[in-house]
Amino acid sequence: MAQIDEDDIILVQRGPSPTVAGGFYRSFVETARGLKTTLFKVFGETQTIQYPEEKTPVYPRFRGRHKLHTFEDTGLEKCVGCSLCAAACPADCIRVVAAENDPNNRVSAGERYAAVYEINMSRCIFCGYCEVACPFDAITMGHDYELSDLNRSDLIFTKEMLLAEPIERTPLRTEDE
Amino acid sequence: MPRPEHNEITLTIDGRDVTAIDGQILVDAARGGDIEIPVFCYEPKIGGPVGACRMCLVEIEGIPKLQTACSTPVKDGMVVHTQTDRVKGAQQSVVEFLLVNHPLDCPVCDKGGECPLQDISYGYGGGKSRFIEPKRHFVKPLGLSPLIAIDRERCILCYRCVRFSQEVSEDHQLVLLERGASTFVATFDGHPYVAPFSGNIIELCPVGALTSRAYRFRARPWDIEGSGSVCNLCPAQCNVTFTVRDDRVLRVLSRDHDGVDDGWLCDKGRFAYQATHSDERITAPLVRDGDQLRPATWERAIQVASGIARHPGAAAAIVGGETTNEEGLLLGRYMRDTLASHDIDSRQGGALSAGVLRELARTDLQATVPDLEFAHTVLLLDADPVDDAPVLDLRIRKAARRNDTQVLVASGRPTALDARAAVAVRHAPGSAASLVLALDSALSGDHGAATNHATDAGSDLESINALADALKTGGEDVVIVWGERVTDGAGGEAAAKALVNISTTLGLGTREGSGLLELPRGTNGRGLREVGAIPTAGPGLSNPVTVGRSTDQIAAAAAAGEVTALWFLHADPTRDGRNTEIWTRAMASAGLVIAHASTLSPELAEHATVVFPAEAGAERDGTITHPDGRIQRLRKAIGSPVDVRPAAAIIARIAEVGSGVDLGPATGPAATEAVSAAVSFYAGLTVDEIGGRGLRWQDRDAATNLPAGDLNGESDAPVPAASPNGALRLGTYRSIWASPEVELSPALKFLSRRPTVELSPVDAERIGVIQGQNVDIGTGTDALRATAHLRSDVPAGSVFVESGLAAPGNLPSEGQLIEVSKA
Ligand code: SF4
Ligand code: SF4
Ligand code: SF4
Ligand code: SF4
Ligand code: FES
Repeated sequence: MAQIDEDDIILVQRGPSPTVAGGFYRSFVETARGLKTTLFKVFGETQTIQYPEEKTPVYPRFRGRHKLHTFEDTGLEKCVGCSLCAAACPADCIRVVAAENDPNNRVSAGERYAAVYEINMSRCIFCGYCEVACPFDAITMGHDYELSDLNRSDLIFTKEMLLAEPIERTPLRTEDE
Repeated sequence: MPRPEHNEITLTIDGRDVTAIDGQILVDAARGGDIEIPVFCYEPKIGGPVGACRMCLVEIEGIPKLQTACSTPVKDGMVVHTQTDRVKGAQQSVVEFLLVNHPLDCPVCDKGGECPLQDISYGYGGGKSRFIEPKRHFVKPLGLSPLIAIDRERCILCYRCVRFSQEVSEDHQLVLLERGASTFVATFDGHPYVAPFSGNIIELCPVGALTSRAYRFRARPWDIEGSGSVCNLCPAQCNVTFTVRDDRVLRVLSRDHDGVDDGWLCDKGRFAYQATHSDERITAPLVRDGDQLRPATWERAIQVASGIARHPGAAAAIVGGETTNEEGLLLGRYMRDTLASHDIDSRQGGALSAGVLRELARTDLQATVPDLEFAHTVLLLDADPVDDAPVLDLRIRKAARRNDTQVLVASGRPTALDARAAVAVRHAPGSAASLVLALDSALSGDHGAATNHATDAGSDLESINALADALKTGGEDVVIVWGERVTDGAGGEAAAKALVNISTTLGLGTREGSGLLELPRGTNGRGLREVGAIPTAGPGLSNPVTVGRSTDQIAAAAAAGEVTALWFLHADPTRDGRNTEIWTRAMASAGLVIAHASTLSPELAEHATVVFPAEAGAERDGTITHPDGRIQRLRKAIGSPVDVRPAAAIIARIAEVGSGVDLGPATGPAATEAVSAAVSFYAGLTVDEIGGRGLRWQDRDAATNLPAGDLNGESDAPVPAASPNGALRLGTYRSIWASPEVELSPALKFLSRRPTVELSPVDAERIGVIQGQNVDIGTGTDALRATAHLRSDVPAGSVFVESGLAAPGNLPSEGQLIEVSKA
């Protein structure tokens, strides 16, 4: 180990050492007081949710995995590849590369469309800014929060993945819950 | 016109005292005092204000109505308010009016995020509109040209694009058609707007009405980074910003530099970046294997190239114009010091002696680019800026339009500035040297000599005298812009001396705003000369130990077997169209041909032994020297493909492997310092001092280190012009579009050149061809087939063949007679 320079050592003032009675009080009485709540809960109602057998229901406005939308009538993508979501995203996890629509083979309703649309779910902080920024309601936040994976690159969701109907695996909270 | 004088005055804007120049426009004066007045149509680069948009209304005490700040000059003691309720109300109304017909389709608009209309609507608009009627509609988007898309719905009729076309580039193509709410921007005849400078209107348009088709939907401002560098496609060396996304160049914008480009770019500079990412580009070293070039490892390529060490005294190098100072110096050192060869050249038309070069480089004789704008007279000597250094064409037009500069032209081929010229003199192609001698004699009153030289030049005394008179009477500040080809050939040295004499006679050295400005053929022509990449001078234009061979002599020597190894650093002499046949033989008989290139001409592909991939403009680092002496920095904007390495590093490695010598630092700031240590008048220059804007070495103290010139050497007389006797005098020209980068860029492909020949209508009639028909130039199997282009101002008896193409044909040198016949 390297020599420690004398100047780098700072002396710290210690508190006065407790008396015998004080020490006993600290070790047993204060500890018991701290454990009071825990001890009472042991005998109360069970709080643990048995995930993954059981799942916490989410509120309707829960911000989970994103979804890209298409128009119901025409089937065209709502997203025009404007990149506003990417600009709004504080985690910088959206990548949009736009391209020009071919009038004979449209992808979106506007002049341009997103040729590449990727969200890096491992960076997303689920703030919902992208949803707010989108001028066409093309991207919304869904309910799925089960996004873990074994491989980081699998967490980069492509446009096809985001356009696909997500599997509904998270229960929605009912009115009275 | 001398530069205007500046009197400082003080005015009050929003209660603040602002110092400004008397007569300055209020918007600019306010900006100088950190007060922003919103504008749309005002753009001083284009010319005077038009007051079309009314965005800049302000209140001026003593004037009852609101005034447009973009057309009001400031006066001492003026009191201006930009923040009153009246002004704000007016600004809100103007924004509301502008948005009445505006589609506000920002999400699909390419301007979104960098749009002045967005910014001003947010900053100065009322945030609501009372307009509920349908907006006007146009078909959109339309191609205004293959390069520019126009969306007429978004146009706010600021006139910027139209004014650019009418008053800056003077191509007079764009106009506003119809009136009132139906007004729209179009070309007068409905043809696409194709012009050398058309891309500038994309940058000028304050809304998304004019957008680049090459950049269309590629990125948003927050996706990209700007990286400043210098365009290395022509000697004008415009300052540019490369727009980079994901390590690819997506766009090129101007980086306004008053001393270089005045804020404009030509379309080649703006769109040829696409060549960087072309699939056809060479991106790995190639080594000859039998009759084919095959990709090879770097070790092998270096190994083969270092075989040059086995050709001491018999190696020669041709250095192309885009080579940087650092690379030029390094190769020169290796050739001279280690390989004992003095045959290195970066010029095409023959060498000038070191003494004459130093004389031409004299600090007092050097005109700057801004001098063009304020000169009384600009004389163009066998140079057509629109092809040789495009952006300077705009500068000369600006001078003529705004400052009444007298433009004089003396050239072989008609120039784009002829229409602006007070006197335009034609000489025979390749006889510029005789014309300069004639002008020199005429100016010094020796009419006998003037007559002889004028006849030699294929011109006459009368024209020469007209030119001389206009030079003498047009005012003291004269800038002579001369093309490198003036000093081509046998009479080159004499012509250069005559140029210096003319400058002395006219007193150019004694006045600040006067002087000579050379337009070299290569981008860095001047820098390469100054670092010693020429056979007649070492670094710093010093006298060489031994004078080497010039380009043409190298070709001849190699063809004769005296030179056995050829090194083409960013050069491909067969593409220049000079002596193609000799060069082909030279390459065939040389034992080793090293080339650095991005694409291969058929000859190089057939004869090169090893080809190193060249870095693209946006990938380079180093310094280059502008024709007026401004040293500028190329800065790496993007990474090169994995197998592309800096040329300087390759040269250094070859020297190490082949000869075991260490050439010193090859890349980075240390390499630039090696250049300033070698060139006496660059002494002490560092990359930090050069900075982003460059600086002229003439403005530094070290400029006094330039050794004195010498005009006393022997020089040959120019060859008299041949008189056309059915056969025509051959001239060549290199169009702005004749370059490999243009051919490789998808956006510019429609402009890439096919062999063309310019004929006078008289000769065309005699030969029996009409516009667009094919003609054969030369006879027999050597004949070059080209499309005839009839130009009424081409003098009868001359013919101009396009050069700089991949298959230039085998033509004799300029000025010789050649048969032209109908194909
Ligand atoms: S939710 Fe927030 S962090 Fe996630 S992609 Fe949208 S903007 Fe980015
Ligand atoms: S999702 Fe919405 S904000 Fe994002 S690029 Fe598409 S249209 Fe624009
Ligand atoms: S020009 Fe500007 S304001 Fe108009 S649609 Fe385009 S980005 Fe929006
Ligand atoms: S197209 Fe653009 S530059 Fe031209 S008038 Fe319209 S808004 Fe102005
Ligand atoms: S900027 Fe003044 S009227 Fe347009």
